[in-house]
Amino acid sequence: MVSDFFYPNMGGVEGHLYQLSLMLTQRGHKVIIITHSYGNRTGVRYLTNGLKVYYVPHMVIYSEATLPTIYGFFPIFRNIVLRERINIVHGHQAFSSLCHEAILHARTMGMRVCFTDHSLFGFADASSILMNKVLKFTLSDIDHVICVSNTSKENTVLRAALTPQMVSVIPNAVVASQFKPDPSAQDKNFITIVVASRLVYRKGMDLLVAVIPRICKAEPKVRFIIGGDGPKRIDLEQMREKNLLHDRVEFLGPVMHHEVHSVLTKGHIFLNTSLTEAFCIGMVEAACCGLLVVSTKVGGVPEVLPRHMIIFSKPEEEDLVNAVLKAIKMIRLKEAVPTKFHDEIKEMYSWSNVAERTEKVYDKIWKLKTPPLMERLRRYYGCGIWAGKIFCIVMAVDYLFWRFLEWLFPTDEIDIAPAFPYQKYRKVINNMTVEMIFFFNS
Amino acid sequence: PWRKLLWIKQDYPDDHVDDTFLDELQKNVNVRAYDYWTVVMESTVISQHISSIVIFIAVFIDLFWGRLSAQNLIISGTVLTIIGYIFWDKSISKTDPAYEYKRWKTAKGAVLFFVTLLGLSPILKTLTKDTSSDTIWALTVILFLANMLFHDYGSENRTNIKFPGSLSTNAAIFASVLLASRLEVNSHVFGLMLFAVEWFALFPIFRRYTKSLSAKFNVALTCILFILATTLFLYISNVIAIIYVLGIIFITFACPYWLIWIQKYKNEIHGPWDEARPKLQPPNE
Repeated sequence: MVSDFFYPNMGGVEGHLYQLSLMLTQRGHKVIIITHSYGNRTGVRYLTNGLKVYYVPHMVIYSEATLPTIYGFFPIFRNIVLRERINIVHGHQAFSSLCHEAILHARTMGMRVCFTDHSLFGFADASSILMNKVLKFTLSDIDHVICVSNTSKENTVLRAALTPQMVSVIPNAVVASQFKPDPSAQDKNFITIVVASRLVYRKGMDLLVAVIPRICKAEPKVRFIIGGDGPKRIDLEQMREKNLLHDRVEFLGPVMHHEVHSVLTKGHIFLNTSLTEAFCIGMVEAACCGLLVVSTKVGGVPEVLPRHMIIFSKPEEEDLVNAVLKAIKMIRLKEAVPTKFHDEIKEMYSWSNVAERTEKVYDKIWKLKTPPLMERLRRYYGCGIWAGKIFCIVMAVDYLFWRFLEWLFPTDEIDIAPAFPYQKYRKVINNMTVEMIFFFNS
Repeated sequence: PWRKLLWIKQDYPDDHVDDTFLDELQKNVNVRAYDYWTVVMESTVISQHISSIVIFIAVFIDLFWGRLSAQNLIISGTVLTIIGYIFWDKSISKTDPAYEYKRWKTAKGAVLFFVTLLGLSPILKTLTKDTSSDTIWALTVILFLANMLFHDYGSENRTNIKFPGSLSTNAAIFASVLLASRLEVNSHVFGLMLFAVEWFALFPIFRRYTKSLSAKFNVALTCILFILATTLFLYISNVIAIIYVLGIIFITFACPYWLIWIQKYKNEIHGPWDEARPKLQPPNE
């Protein structure tokens, strides 16, 4: 698994990588993760269950994305991949330049490649156009693509001009045991609405600023808890000052991943005002904790939760106010019993299911043959009038560089790293647990 | 049948492509077909503005070479402004009855401005005494370009503008200050500055107003400005006049045709993945 975004950075992609890798290890596969170094954290680290993570020293330019040097990453990548005897390279997130480079190099070395995309992109603004071109380059020569929702699949197919048969839809999941409902944490007197997201324009903060005063005026026994930080926090605080809602609106600031559960259980309703969303794991976590979800009907949101767990609204102020008031009424009249949601979500979304489906994808691409060099050049050539030729040049230089590395650092001189003995480790842990239970009981 | 949901376990494989795939894709929704002559009429705004800049430069050159006397300029400028103002006033008072009391304020403001400018002209004359002429010409060109590029050419859609219209007006006034400082006599400086303010600050308002008023008047104004600019520059430099004429013809007749021709390459894609535009109600207070 290759991505720029991994622990100690916290987020959806990072969580996805970690959980998926753990589950795949449990199913008996060998998984390593390659990411860039975070501050002093470089080199090889071992996480839970013997998950090996390579923190490659690389320059970070913006928001944990690395500087795309294209060929600079190749020598160390080749070394890692050969010593770990990797067969399949799986890249995550279109923003991560490490992912794009890894896919290119893996292809040059003749390995199977797979890509997962976690976000939606528009087509109209400058940054999207550039991003889509880079994605088209990477996905011209790939074995399979995974998207987290059907809307994301349509979006990716259009962006990279792929054949839809090459894209699978495998949703994200939640660790249900970490998000158990806790009715005792809820406030009996007030209905609490929780908002937990980055406070940026993309997450619909303007809508939130417009909606909170109206709801507070309409319903006196409602209060808001807002977790997260971002540039729009100032707008929200200004709104609070203007409407004198200091006792009704509470700001928690940035919330750590392990604190999310305690924040969510305080609430009755979870409000999501995003303007665009591929999957929105926050909603699933909230529903798992037993909150009724109110969300704007954008992107992949309509596909995620069943009708009785979520109330939709258009991304309009009027509609959103009505939806929240309806949710409050439903909570008051006990028409919805959110505490039952946890069991339902446990069945719907689980990481073992995701790992099983991902394994099927790996089996499928394992059977494919690596295309010869001419075929690869032809695929890259079709990217565009100018871009096709440039991409062909990039790929050809990559191939020559690989040959050079094969001569300079021959394959048989690279030490093979010992694999983490996962089965033995599991047996030892299980035995230890059994012994400890024995010891404490006797 | 296959449903577009993620929380149910369906019998279909993960890479199943349903018949409803890309059903919600909308192509070229916002594209409308342009009519050639409508676009030509709209392009008169641009040609009017370019003509006005060219006329101003011609006036400056004439003042600089002493062909135009400052008094003529001041008198004609003031007279034209007053005529334009009366015209504007008559039409505004039809729509806005509360306009009556503003007349006195406007007159007071105009006289105050006139006198202040008269007092400031000696200072403006010696403003750039230490700067070489080449720098002045170069700066002026850049500033007039800025004025041309950032000018508010649209008439209805004022909310989409990211930079204010004042940027272009400021650039023009700054350019005229630089030019005026090259002149020798106080009255010349005053004349040019007064003309500049009337020409770059008040005239665009008048132009915008006549455009919304009547199409025929708009075309007439465009032609008057065009002829004026050409004749003025013919006395200064034939080459510039020819370039100017060709440029205006290109913008007015060739560019609309080009725009309509490349519309057929437009490929706009919309769908559920687009970032929604939040509809907020306008604040009441």
